[in-house]
Amino acid sequence: MSEQPHAAHDDHGHGHGHASVFIQHHYDDAQHQFDSGKLGIWLFLAQEVLFFSALFVAYVLYRHHHPEIYAYAHKYLDVKMGAINTGILIFSSLTAAWAVRAAQLRQKSLLIGCLAVTIACAGGFLVVKYFEYTHKVHEHILFGRYFDPCVSSGGTPLITKNNQCPGTKSTVQWDVTTGVASSGCFADVAIDVDPRARNVQADCEVFAVEGTETIKAGKSEFVEKSRKPITERCFDAVFGPNGGLDGKAKPTGAACWKTNYNPHVCKGGWFFTWSCTGEKCTAPAGTEGPFATDTACKEQRTSKDGTLKAQGTAVVSECSSSRASGILVDFEDHQVRKGNVRIVASCKAPPPVVAPADPLADRVQPLQLGQKTTTTERPLSHHDQKEALYAGPPPPNTNMFFTIYFAMTGLHGIHVLFGVFVFIWLLIRATKGHFTPDYFGPVDFAALYWHIVDLIWIFLFPLLYLIH
Amino acid sequence: MATIKTTERNDGPVNEPDYLHVTKGIKGWLFTLDHKKIGLMYLYAILISLILGGVLALLIRTELWLPGKQLVEQDTYNKFFTLHGAVMVFLVIIPGIPAALGNIIMPIQLGAPDVAFPRLNLSSFYLWVSGALLLIIAIPFGGLDTGWTLYTPYSLESKTPVLMAVLGVFLLGFSSIFTGLNFLVTIHKFRPQGMSWFQMPLNIWAIYATAIMQVLATPVLGITVLLLAVERFAHIGIFDPTLGGDPVLFQHFFWFYSHPAVYIMIIPAMGVISEILSTFSRKPIFGYRFIAYSSVSLALLSFLVWGHHMFVSGQSRLANMVFSALTFSVGIPAAIKVFNWVSTLYKGDIRLKTPMIYALGFLLIFTIGGLTGLFLGILSVDVHLHDTYFVVAHFHYVMMGSTLIAFLAALHHWWPKFTGKMYTESIARACAIGAFFGFNLTFLPQFVMGSRGMPRRYWDYDPQFTIFHQLSTIGAFVLGISMFVSIVNLMASWKNGKRAPRNPWGGSSLEWQAPTPPPLFNFEKPPVLHEIYNYDDLVEVEEDVWERRAPIEEEPSRVPGDAHAHAREPVKSAPPEPIETKADVVVVETKAETPGPTATAVEPPSKKEDDK
Repeated sequence: MSEQPHAAHDDHGHGHGHASVFIQHHYDDAQHQFDSGKLGIWLFLAQEVLFFSALFVAYVLYRHHHPEIYAYAHKYLDVKMGAINTGILIFSSLTAAWAVRAAQLRQKSLLIGCLAVTIACAGGFLVVKYFEYTHKVHEHILFGRYFDPCVSSGGTPLITKNNQCPGTKSTVQWDVTTGVASSGCFADVAIDVDPRARNVQADCEVFAVEGTETIKAGKSEFVEKSRKPITERCFDAVFGPNGGLDGKAKPTGAACWKTNYNPHVCKGGWFFTWSCTGEKCTAPAGTEGPFATDTACKEQRTSKDGTLKAQGTAVVSECSSSRASGILVDFEDHQVRKGNVRIVASCKAPPPVVAPADPLADRVQPLQLGQKTTTTERPLSHHDQKEALYAGPPPPNTNMFFTIYFAMTGLHGIHVLFGVFVFIWLLIRATKGHFTPDYFGPVDFAALYWHIVDLIWIFLFPLLYLIH
Repeated sequence: MATIKTTERNDGPVNEPDYLHVTKGIKGWLFTLDHKKIGLMYLYAILISLILGGVLALLIRTELWLPGKQLVEQDTYNKFFTLHGAVMVFLVIIPGIPAALGNIIMPIQLGAPDVAFPRLNLSSFYLWVSGALLLIIAIPFGGLDTGWTLYTPYSLESKTPVLMAVLGVFLLGFSSIFTGLNFLVTIHKFRPQGMSWFQMPLNIWAIYATAIMQVLATPVLGITVLLLAVERFAHIGIFDPTLGGDPVLFQHFFWFYSHPAVYIMIIPAMGVISEILSTFSRKPIFGYRFIAYSSVSLALLSFLVWGHHMFVSGQSRLANMVFSALTFSVGIPAAIKVFNWVSTLYKGDIRLKTPMIYALGFLLIFTIGGLTGLFLGILSVDVHLHDTYFVVAHFHYVMMGSTLIAFLAALHHWWPKFTGKMYTESIARACAIGAFFGFNLTFLPQFVMGSRGMPRRYWDYDPQFTIFHQLSTIGAFVLGISMFVSIVNLMASWKNGKRAPRNPWGGSSLEWQAPTPPPLFNFEKPPVLHEIYNYDDLVEVEEDVWERRAPIEEEPSRVPGDAHAHAREPVKSAPPEPIETKADVVVVETKAETPGPTATAVEPPSKKEDDK
């Protein structure tokens, strides 16, 4: 777009048949200048295609490796918005092409009108994009490490790692001595469904643990605990195949916690500390916290097997048998707390866990003698499976979809913005009557540029919004 | 006829000032749209970068004189080799021949008044300057320690100002793209009528092939470094394995550009060498079409071999085999060129002027560089040689030994044309010989070291490599001094050099018909097209002054408003006598009476009646 001629050289000698003052000196005539510009803009468009191509390659590569990400994440995008933008751009391509014709035919007012409509369409495109982007920012549907959505792509609230998503806030007065919440309650739905499922985390966010007194391990020294609200989120532990807590240690100083397993009981519980210093959580040294009941305590101890791998299951069995529920707070300062603890937390319903499809479900049963056809029962229809998928948490690395989404649409948006400036410049020149049948190259070249911007969007729309 | 005034010693333009004297003052340079001035500014900036990169190279070599610390600590050493690589690749070798000498010479060689888009040309230059400044400013801000390849994930973690440097590379890339675009349009649309594709000088073929790669490969570098920059400040994750990204994807993108970039460096060098070998052998280039086609096929093949940089980066075995096979196919066009060059020399009337000495050195160095590339293309051998000094030696033989030597050859070849001055031949020749021996002394020992396992980019080494490192360091200083002196010699000619004649080397292409130095629009009258690489008509009337023997049949331009009408018009003052009227009194010989090669007058480019 940089080859637009300009009235710089008309200071000496345009007496040899140049119709327009915008024909530069080193060209033979208007046609020569136009042809050169045309080839130039086509080469520019070729480099634009290559410029975008790397992103398309990245798209194909990641989609090939992780189809489930694309299947899941595209549901976050608003097809309606995308469709509106597609319509806007196609229409503006029409007006851009019409502008070229108007310039060729010296229809000044039509040219101005077409250019103005094109600018308006480009602006409209950017406004729609602005709404799409702000919505994603608000919902934390972003790229890279900022991908931490509040809802699943199907709209179910999700547990997030770092975000304070809007949700219900519960205040629980916790009596550690009795192991019972003295007031307040975590809603049933707020409690983790299956701690053994990978990546299922606690769905409550602790804002404060107040009234804490600390005993240094083994000693009766009381230390007032900081009343600073705890915003660092929840225990990021993964229950590995062996059932052990094989999550890595949290950053020092942060409290991490985990809801216990019991979907039906909201009162009762137990409390003890774990130290998360290494790769694995190790059992508390000597001083385990109070348990709800003696049985619970006994079961907890017996189920440990002296190995760490029993921890996950120990928690489960202990709680389910004792009908106790509660939370496990890991203060990471390796200190035991006593007394009444007030925990302020925000809880949300955890995402339902999608049961893995039965690999035998679709297997064709062998025909029996005399039997003509088989009927197999499918547990879920295709549609239901999709719905279940969208309701669940995002698969790992879903952030890559949004990395590519933002890279592609962002780069495209910058091109649209650049187009707006070019068309404004053309509009100014058109009002001055610069464009004639002899000299309409800039309009033509800008329109070509606009077509490629349009074309790229026509690829982006189905590739990002319409996939299944 | 001006072209046959044999006694004319002042070969500058007659009716107008030459391009150096059209305007005065710094503004006349900074805002110039003249391709020659832009090219000259490029040339100076590139020479400054060359000296910077060269000093860094010598510091590296000094550090490696003995094992252990000599000059600097390890971290500083990392910054030295990174900046040496980045400066030499992005600021010297890639723009060296195309942007600087291509800008100065290509339009004249084409018989064109300027490049197609002079304004774009100037903006390319300023893009280049801003990119170069960003890259160089990175030095006081802590220097870069990632290696010039900027591999992820280290480039995401490095504490050095990677962001600034990659933005610099981004701008340099777009400068290169716009230059290539400009040259492509110029070659397509500004060829004079009568100059078909196969009557273009091979230098223009080479620049054409280069421009294709510049336009089609560089955007991929642009988006890659853009993604790297965004990754660095926004952590989008595309190359970051901790976020699910793929660091090897960066390598793929990077080499998708940077392998063609190697050919962006070498193909213009090949074009220059084709010109020089033919001119100084006084013999038509052997296998013109093959050389032309091989330039373009090298350009196309260059897009298909990037994977051979990543044989040990975790590519699939199949990909490795395909890339290895394609890499060998690159040997075909490269060998075609070498065989044709050697055949051109065969039974030629070889004149060992400075450009020719450089060109012969190129021939040997490029052959070694090319053949050692085959070692690295073999999968099993590459596992052993990967990231050793063997690789360093190989790519220096191709990138430095071939391209930079060709750059110096081209500089000495066309220097008289665009400066109007002759340099001191004896010093230049000594420097050419010194550079050749210095170069080989620097890098031959590195092949040996590499094959024995000396890894590249190491600050320290095993004592058994000491002797090779010392030979290499001595060679580097010989090379550095030779190159520095040759540049000083050229610069001194501005002041002390005697006036250059129109055609000091007896070249047959169009630029030797232009006045020396040329006027603003390069020609005062349309140049006359002769059969390409035919030297039968050219005779050396005195030392370094060549003339065409017979008067050349010439037709005046018949179309009003053609490209050269501008050139015929004086820029500042009215001509004492319009040249058109001169043409009317020329006795035009008929073709039947001309025994020599055919000659046709240049006519303006065809004007298409199209769908406007």
